[in-house]
Amino acid sequence: MARTEEYQLNVGPVHPSTHGVLRFLLTMEGETIKDVEMIIGQLHRGIEKIAESRSYLQFIPYTDRLDYISGMTNNYGFTKAVEDLAGITVPKKAEYLRVFVMELNRIVNHLVCIGSLLLDLGAATMIIYGFRERHKILELFESLSGARMTFNYIRPGGVRGDIPEGFIDKAKAFLRDMPKRLDDYAQLINENEIVLMRMKGIGMLSPEDAINYGVTGPMLRGSGVSYDIRKDDPYSVYEELDFKACTRPECDTYARYIVRMDEMYESLYIAEQALDRIEHLGGPVKAHFPRIFTPPEGEVYSRIEAPKGELGFYIVSDGSTRPYRVKIRSPPFCSLQALPQMVEGLKIPDLVATFGIVDIALGDVDR
Amino acid sequence: MSIQSELKTRFGDAVIETYLQKDGKPGLVLKPEALLEICNFLHDSGFDHLSLISGTDYVERMEVVYHIWSYARKENIVLKVKLDRENPVVDSVTAVWRGANWMERETYDLVGIEFKGHPDLRRILLPDPWDGHPLRRDYDMSVDQYVYIDENGKDVVTQDASKILREEALDGKN
Repeated sequence: MARTEEYQLNVGPVHPSTHGVLRFLLTMEGETIKDVEMIIGQLHRGIEKIAESRSYLQFIPYTDRLDYISGMTNNYGFTKAVEDLAGITVPKKAEYLRVFVMELNRIVNHLVCIGSLLLDLGAATMIIYGFRERHKILELFESLSGARMTFNYIRPGGVRGDIPEGFIDKAKAFLRDMPKRLDDYAQLINENEIVLMRMKGIGMLSPEDAINYGVTGPMLRGSGVSYDIRKDDPYSVYEELDFKACTRPECDTYARYIVRMDEMYESLYIAEQALDRIEHLGGPVKAHFPRIFTPPEGEVYSRIEAPKGELGFYIVSDGSTRPYRVKIRSPPFCSLQALPQMVEGLKIPDLVATFGIVDIALGDVDR
Repeated sequence: MSIQSELKTRFGDAVIETYLQKDGKPGLVLKPEALLEICNFLHDSGFDHLSLISGTDYVERMEVVYHIWSYARKENIVLKVKLDRENPVVDSVTAVWRGANWMERETYDLVGIEFKGHPDLRRILLPDPWDGHPLRRDYDMSVDQYVYIDENGKDVVTQDASKILREEALDGKN
């Protein structure tokens, strides 16, 4: 039998499969991964420090730059914390608009995640299709907020502005078109033999471990824990909408992929309901929010179900115009910790697949 | 019985005060030495999800706040410990929730709170030789620190920008 010796292998920080600037230091035995050390921080911009010198309203554009793929949910995460802190009530129409854009943002996020995962596995088609649909959603967002990725749309008290002319029709056309597209993609990927071989039974994470590591979102639901903050600790108007939390019991990479596919259908369904209410609701989309805003003293921690998992903002206010402390709980930062356990004993190509489905944005991990 | 009053009756001496966060989440201020025992008890009674650990510098003291959620009971509980600013040390809860590992490292990195018993307490976001903890109130923002990698692959931090510029210029010549 050949004798093997442990050695270390460096992957990244600039490597196509690390989705940003993340560095792996692998401890290998032959071709088997024994341990992974992740070296993060290359994209650290000190956003929590910046928050201390910005007013509450000024900080919202910075949240767009956390998880740059899903800016809308980041906007809302911070906005919700501020609203909880100051007890601001938001007009109904604004809440539905928020839900609408957040659910579309979830689709954007999952399309990018699945597209880039399959690109890493060697299938370049899906990312092109994914970006095509993403483009349609970003056009809708652009007509609302004026920007394609850095929206600054959801603000304390409501949203930036009412829907433009013709928005409902465009949105309806998209919602009508999208399920067929998703069916196509499911047909393309779900039963694909290579996909099955690369993802089934790879990257196992038991529900107990997932909970203990603080893994949330689709990762947790792929491990069979039916937990969705929209359902279990509801916020906004999610209680009035009909949807289900998508769960799979297999605990592997494929289960996490399927959860994301199912969630896109679910998001479309929610967006449809929200759009219907937006169409029939009148009234303002913005409550009064003072220009010089001084919330009461106190602390607040509010969390939402972002596409990548539990996104939380902990704000300490000292009663001045600027937050005393803002702490961000970014979902991939916590989910990444489970990676060494998931890939132990696997080969390097499995690391790429397992890591791809964790779905990180380094802007969010490093802040 | 709510978990807040349950903890109060069970660990009466360790609980300094109870409070409500602005969003209505129940909180407890604990004596730092009792934290690990109470976390163990919480974990065993179903509080299995550690959402967040955050450290804050209040100039006259340091605070570490733990936001914990129970998947089964669908309940929140917030724990807080107040630490001496000169010597901010508290027990690590990595043995209870493994997910606390990086969160504690981050709090150590940015706020400078030490977690006793943490398996691998190093900086996580900033390079190892970084000077100071940025989220402290007395962190000097006027001093620039530059990072470069030396020939051994180690991060080196310097306040002398010319050092990096000179090395880049040398690379250009080669």
